[in-house]
Amino acid sequence: MKSTERIADCGSKPNGERRIAAAAKRFAVTLLLALAPLAVLAQYPAKPIRLVVPFPPAGATDIVSRELARHLSERLKQQVIVDNRPGAGGALGSDIVAKSPPDGYTIQMATSSTHAIGPLLNPKTPYDPRGDFTPIAHVANSPNVLLVAPNVPANSVKELVELLKRSPGRYNYGSSGNGTIVHLTSELFKAMTGTYVVHIPYRGTALVIPDMLSGQIHLLFDNIASALPHLKDGKLRALGVTSRERSPLLPDVPPVAQAVPGFESVTWFGVFGPKGLPPEVVQRLNGEINAVLKSPEFVERLRALGYEPAGGSPQDFAALLARDTDKWAKLIRERKITAE
Amino acid sequence: MDLINHLALGFATALTLQNLLYCFVGVLVGTLIGVLPGIGPIATLAMLLPTTYALPPTSALIMLAGIYYGAQYGGSTTAILVNLPGESSSVVTCIDGYQMARKGRAGAALAVAALGSFFAGTVSTVVVAALAGPMVEFAFKFGPAEYFSLMVLGLIGAVVLASGSLVKAIAMILLGLLLGLVGTDVNSGVARFSFDVPELTDGIGFVAIAMGVFGFAEIIANVEKREHREVFTDRVGRLWPSKDEFRKAAPAAVRGTLLGSILGVLPGGGALLASFASYTVEKKVAKDPSEFGKGAVAGVAGPESANNAGAQTSFIPMLTLGIPPNAVMALMIGAMTIHNIQPGPQVMANNPALFWGLIASMWIGNLMLVILNLPLIGLWVQLLKVPYRWLYPAILVFCCIGVYSINNNTFDVYMTAAFGVVGYVFYKLRCEPAPLLLGFILGPMMEENLRRAMLLSRGDPTTFFTRPLSLALLLMAAALLVIVALPAIKAKREEAFHEVD
Repeated sequence: MKSTERIADCGSKPNGERRIAAAAKRFAVTLLLALAPLAVLAQYPAKPIRLVVPFPPAGATDIVSRELARHLSERLKQQVIVDNRPGAGGALGSDIVAKSPPDGYTIQMATSSTHAIGPLLNPKTPYDPRGDFTPIAHVANSPNVLLVAPNVPANSVKELVELLKRSPGRYNYGSSGNGTIVHLTSELFKAMTGTYVVHIPYRGTALVIPDMLSGQIHLLFDNIASALPHLKDGKLRALGVTSRERSPLLPDVPPVAQAVPGFESVTWFGVFGPKGLPPEVVQRLNGEINAVLKSPEFVERLRALGYEPAGGSPQDFAALLARDTDKWAKLIRERKITAE
Repeated sequence: MDLINHLALGFATALTLQNLLYCFVGVLVGTLIGVLPGIGPIATLAMLLPTTYALPPTSALIMLAGIYYGAQYGGSTTAILVNLPGESSSVVTCIDGYQMARKGRAGAALAVAALGSFFAGTVSTVVVAALAGPMVEFAFKFGPAEYFSLMVLGLIGAVVLASGSLVKAIAMILLGLLLGLVGTDVNSGVARFSFDVPELTDGIGFVAIAMGVFGFAEIIANVEKREHREVFTDRVGRLWPSKDEFRKAAPAAVRGTLLGSILGVLPGGGALLASFASYTVEKKVAKDPSEFGKGAVAGVAGPESANNAGAQTSFIPMLTLGIPPNAVMALMIGAMTIHNIQPGPQVMANNPALFWGLIASMWIGNLMLVILNLPLIGLWVQLLKVPYRWLYPAILVFCCIGVYSINNNTFDVYMTAAFGVVGYVFYKLRCEPAPLLLGFILGPMMEENLRRAMLLSRGDPTTFFTRPLSLALLLMAAALLVIVALPAIKAKREEAFHEVD
């Protein structure tokens, strides 16, 4: 549109040679503008990018985001600024991004809880995780580990399932609250093994540990990095990881899926922009994020936090979101899990 | 010798340049606000909470702790020289400290207060270090049922030991409990009392409520007070106490330290209670009780040692059980949660450097305080001359910036302002906000543990009576209730708290 207007403009008022020279100059500019997609790509990012983190500083999501922002700033030659907007389980920050202009200067770090589980359980979520966002890149996965208390006489997932089946309703599992991924993972485990274990919610998995050590809570799906110290001092035992493959942090622990075929539950982390983000911007950011994911320094940082680097195309990420949402939606429906 | 290893780790942590610096900043600010009448340690901690955000958690806690016990030192200066309590636990110091100043013994009173506090600080640091380990072991025996019973005891303790009207204390605790319930329920995932405001689904911000009710309200209330002072700031005199004064002060300091160390650990206890109790005790054991009120050295040494000891030992339940015995410790818990550290017995195992570093820093801080408060007393005296019309607006502006920076959300600033108004109303109604804060922190914890205990017992409420630890705690709570209901004790309690009026 812009280029045709300009051509019409200089054609209608030919006024002296100077004008012609100016017109030629404008024509050159017009030509550049005609190559718009390329031009935008060359110019983007022309100013600092805001990476909204819908969680408080110093949490795991924040640490990953800051590390990613640092690497991206170097690669994009523009500052990527982390903006912490915590609140309402990540819904406040996500909503800010959903309602931002799709210019590529406001993007966010999202997780399975802000974009899959949260909206499923809370019908008042102000945004539509699939309709209001453009997926950019899948950054990392965080598998959990199935921990058992010292007084649980089981040394493998298989033995545990047999034990739970023998005395339904006798054992307890801890979680970080109703509707959290820990709760849903445990319910998925119960559904797939046909067992009954009582749910005891806590305000974070760290608070479950003392009650596990005293033997009142028997099972817990916990983040690998936070479980490591308790595994090292030998008080708690890890029976399985919730990813399909083994975790490099716990090479001796088999996946739960070995005993319960098809069982998988990972928290994912990825970058979204608002709906309608130009494809060039998405491609550029996706390419750079994938490049960062190849940096050994970044990967090491992720692993120390218990995360596995992911990556892939925006389409892969969109497919993951759809798959994950459907999986949890089915479980929530079947197990009648509500937050109302 | 685990204790020595632990203390070695603690001192190694506390003696890094950065932590020394924050310890110094903490005790400096503590002395400052202790000296300035009107602004107490709770308000200061509430106002400084957001600034610790950017610090490593160990440095942040060392600094905040420094403010609390630092204020115990500074408070005595104003009490002695101006007859105004620099902060609430120095109220009793006014009685005899100011009289000493009128007799020209201001310097001696200041020295006795500072040295007594230092002695108490040293002893109670050792008490904290020695008790913390066994307490943590003990805490691991605590399940949800025990925690629930402990909180019942804590809340009843807070009522019984609150200064002022019983009815008002109960009302404030209940109000705190209700405010604590706002937000998403952990058990069901339902947002309660949030009126569909997304910001409220996380509950009312701790900083907003603490800063509003304590910080803002105190400042507003101070503005209306007229400044009238008969001041001995220019006549401090010789600092070193005479032999006779020393002989009278030493045993009082020892008794005060002992009493303070015990009362600090109790739910509802802390510096304030310790100083009141110590004054009563000193009066009882004195050969000549008529001296009290006319400049008795023991009446300065005892309470000043007791409040410092109480300030420090009140860290024990906070550090080991994750349960605040008083409002300041509730703030420390808030500071830990800001840094993603879940307070509780696991802190010692998960963050040993933080745990022992904090304890070691207390002794270092006390040493710094003696130096700050004795040779540099002249400097603090000058501070009493800063006009509040400059001080207060500046403090308010920094508070607003601080509260905004926690969540980068203006909602929190409005919330703080609203609680500032509420706090001012409380002040006018003579309702103490400290029990409110305790109820606010303990309420949700109590509910969660109650429901957890009931889930674990599969709905059998006798679990609270069949578990021996839980039963013991509930019996203690019942005993406390009976004691406070006895008319004789009730009269004593009122007498103890109204000594100063």
